[in-house]
Amino acid sequence: MFFLRKYKTIIFIAALLIAALSMISYNLKYGTDKSFLRKIVLETVAPVQKVLKFSITSIKDNWSRYIFLVGIEEENKNLNKKINELKAAIVSYQESYQEAQRLKKLLSLSDDYNYNFISARVIGREQAALSRVILINKGSSDGLKAGMPVVAPPGLIGRLVDVSWHVSKVMLFIDENSNIDAIVQRNRTQGIISGAGSRGLVLKYISKTQDVKEGDVIISSGMGGVFPKGMLIGQVIHVDRQDAGLFLKINVAPYTDLSKLEEVLILSSDETKIK
Amino acid sequence: MIYYLSLPFLSILLIALQSTVTDIFFSGRLTLEISLIVIIYAGFHLDLIKGIILAFILGFVMDCVSGSVPGLFTFIYMIIFLFSFFVSDWLDTEKVYIIIFFSLFCALAKEIILVFVYYLTFKIDMSMNSYFIPFMQTLIISIFAPVFFYLMARLEVLFYGKKT
Repeated sequence: MFFLRKYKTIIFIAALLIAALSMISYNLKYGTDKSFLRKIVLETVAPVQKVLKFSITSIKDNWSRYIFLVGIEEENKNLNKKINELKAAIVSYQESYQEAQRLKKLLSLSDDYNYNFISARVIGREQAALSRVILINKGSSDGLKAGMPVVAPPGLIGRLVDVSWHVSKVMLFIDENSNIDAIVQRNRTQGIISGAGSRGLVLKYISKTQDVKEGDVIISSGMGGVFPKGMLIGQVIHVDRQDAGLFLKINVAPYTDLSKLEEVLILSSDETKIK
Repeated sequence: MIYYLSLPFLSILLIALQSTVTDIFFSGRLTLEISLIVIIYAGFHLDLIKGIILAFILGFVMDCVSGSVPGLFTFIYMIIFLFSFFVSDWLDTEKVYIIIFFSLFCALAKEIILVFVYYLTFKIDMSMNSYFIPFMQTLIISIFAPVFFYLMARLEVLFYGKKT
């Protein structure tokens, strides 16, 4: 008893340190825990962040709206021109799409999965150290589950890692822990897309004999069943062949501007449709 | 007692404010980790029990919100607090250059621990990584730390009439 009283501060500090270390070791061994306490913290952070973000963004937007109006007319002209160009492109793509549908029917191919889209709003962003996650305003009460793929036009952006009742955490694919099976659209070369933080993405395990060029489009391969096949991931921006080793070093830029995410879509695949 | 009761709410508010400010002003490219500066400030000015509880709660909230390994920030924040607490006896913690260099050292140590843990656990190829961003973050923390210390000193004067 005397011992406990004398060293109570040291014992208390040691207990807290051991608790933190146990938390790390548990999570490394069994994966991220979905404890009640963590959910409570996430649920509390979300509304606070929503209010703060709304207030600061409103001030920033008003400032931008009234101060930086110069050049709007010119921009408007350019955008109208671009719209006309895109309209023409859409018509051409619609033709190709219909043709693809007809061919698909002829070959009797069908999708293995029936995906439903659940839309959510981005309410926070946490970019601590090597991790890149965003918070969204939908959770398990909306049918979300950990592992579901998340997209934002024009392509894939990550997957759900932590789902609370009304809030969820999305691990962006530029997170250092993220790995997605991908293929080069042009020649169907398969590799793994890994997050490289602020440097975007890296396409790994592509042999030096493969033909991968700057500008090549990278899409998801559909392997593993987590991400649907054919979703846009990014574009090759640099291929390094000089480095020693068996594989190419390929840097990929994501298609989606991850710093400007406001709304995202979650692909929910509750029912599997196998024909 | 009010201190311990309000701690979780204030920690949540701080982390939410921190990520909102970071998101809006740096578009998610850099992080202004005010929570780390708070831990260093606590190490210099708070007593051991109050400070370690603050470090534990702040680290835990950070762990919940961020995508890092749960428990990692809790552990790092407690270590940084204990280090700041024991070192503060030998340092003139009122001097601006001491605050700058000490914050720089702590922020750098934190980044190194994180990179080391990620390297060991997830086998991340660090040669592919840019070291520029973590270095910029440590610089931002060291620059912002004296401002935070000054603001806290002014608040202390305002609330308790203390002379700094």
